[in-house]
Amino acid sequence: MSIMSYNGGDVIAMMGKNCVAIACDRRFGIQAQTVSTDFDKIFEMGPKLFVGLPGLATDTQTVAQRLKFRLNLYTLRENRAMKPKTFMSVVSNLLYEKRFGPYFIEPVVAGLDPKTNEPFICSLDLIGCPMVTDDFVVSGTASEQMYGMCESLWQPDLGPDDLFETISQALMNAVDRDAVSGWGAKGYVIEADKVTIKTLKARMD
Amino acid sequence: MRTNNMTPEWMDSEVSTGTSIMAVEFDGGVVVGADSRTTTGSYIANRVTDKLTKVADYIYCCRSGSAADTQAVSDIVSYHLDFLQSETQEPPLVRTAAHLFKGMCYQYRDQLSAGIICAGWDKKDGGQVYSIPIGGMCVQQPFAIGGSGSTYIYGYVDSVFKTGMTQEECMKFVTNSLALAMMRDGSSGGVIRLAIITQKGVERKVIVGSDIPRFYEG
Repeated sequence: MSIMSYNGGDVIAMMGKNCVAIACDRRFGIQAQTVSTDFDKIFEMGPKLFVGLPGLATDTQTVAQRLKFRLNLYTLRENRAMKPKTFMSVVSNLLYEKRFGPYFIEPVVAGLDPKTNEPFICSLDLIGCPMVTDDFVVSGTASEQMYGMCESLWQPDLGPDDLFETISQALMNAVDRDAVSGWGAKGYVIEADKVTIKTLKARMD
Repeated sequence: MRTNNMTPEWMDSEVSTGTSIMAVEFDGGVVVGADSRTTTGSYIANRVTDKLTKVADYIYCCRSGSAADTQAVSDIVSYHLDFLQSETQEPPLVRTAAHLFKGMCYQYRDQLSAGIICAGWDKKDGGQVYSIPIGGMCVQQPFAIGGSGSTYIYGYVDSVFKTGMTQEECMKFVTNSLALAMMRDGSSGGVIRLAIITQKGVERKVIVGSDIPRFYEG
């Protein structure tokens, strides 16, 4: 039994034209048993900044709370919203502090720069190594399946609607090949002027 | 956490039919049902598996546990029944098939990981369901459930089952039970496969997608 697949769960983020999208499955399970189907793994850290935390569920909750704490203090001191790239470094720092007893999550960050609205996505490993890409990032128990779907479906400069369609199909078809993921899905499309949140109709097995 | 291993987790995991299986007897035959998911570790290797295996013209078995073990055992039982049919010039009895399964599952109990439900129709005793769980015991029951998903529906089946159900009622009973098990068990899912075995023969059905009943989805 692997700690990273004890609860199961996945997150994808994709880059679009002047927008980003981030999506997750909604299962909370204990090994093979599904306990609930409303356990979201994406958390809002700012009006245009979201973080996905797939992995061990207890750490999903704890890291989300600790990150929000650090972000709130930053906002109070600096009196401005945090940039996504800076947030990535905050996440990296928090994880590396626990280098020899880590949090069992592999986060995904997606957002737009608060001033310039430049889109940004990145992922990190469980000890904080950041990886910035300009196409897509995936993390979770179905990561191999998600990589296959993203490589096939993603193309550059997709608009918000097409991006949402692409990320939904990539996530849903990947988790349908994973026994510990799925049971619902939620997608966020982040644009300069609005954030659209949609709950997807998914297989519940 | 898998450290120092370059291959994906599923390459070192045994293929298992995690599973939810069920069989119910009615006057004139049996209804057998199963989900369709096969996993290697947590990767779903086959999402449309057929776990209802014919061992004789009027006898099917539902397989759960190790895919390799159950396929091997049912192939051997199928061979024995075919041989018996040639010798006796009569279709084999369901209890014979069940006892052949039992014999093998008990003798090789330390090496096998197989939970089998053997069900069918014969002229002597009509519809019968035999449960052969891990360890190799054999018991006849009016209905049987098995596989990892069955643990989630013991309460449901005990509260809903009644004797004297019609064929249609049995089909609904199996469909609803398996749908509930597939919802809760990560190792079960896909489509619901049914087989209705009567004197007339075997009718196979598949229930897919939105036709699968949905209940409270928490």
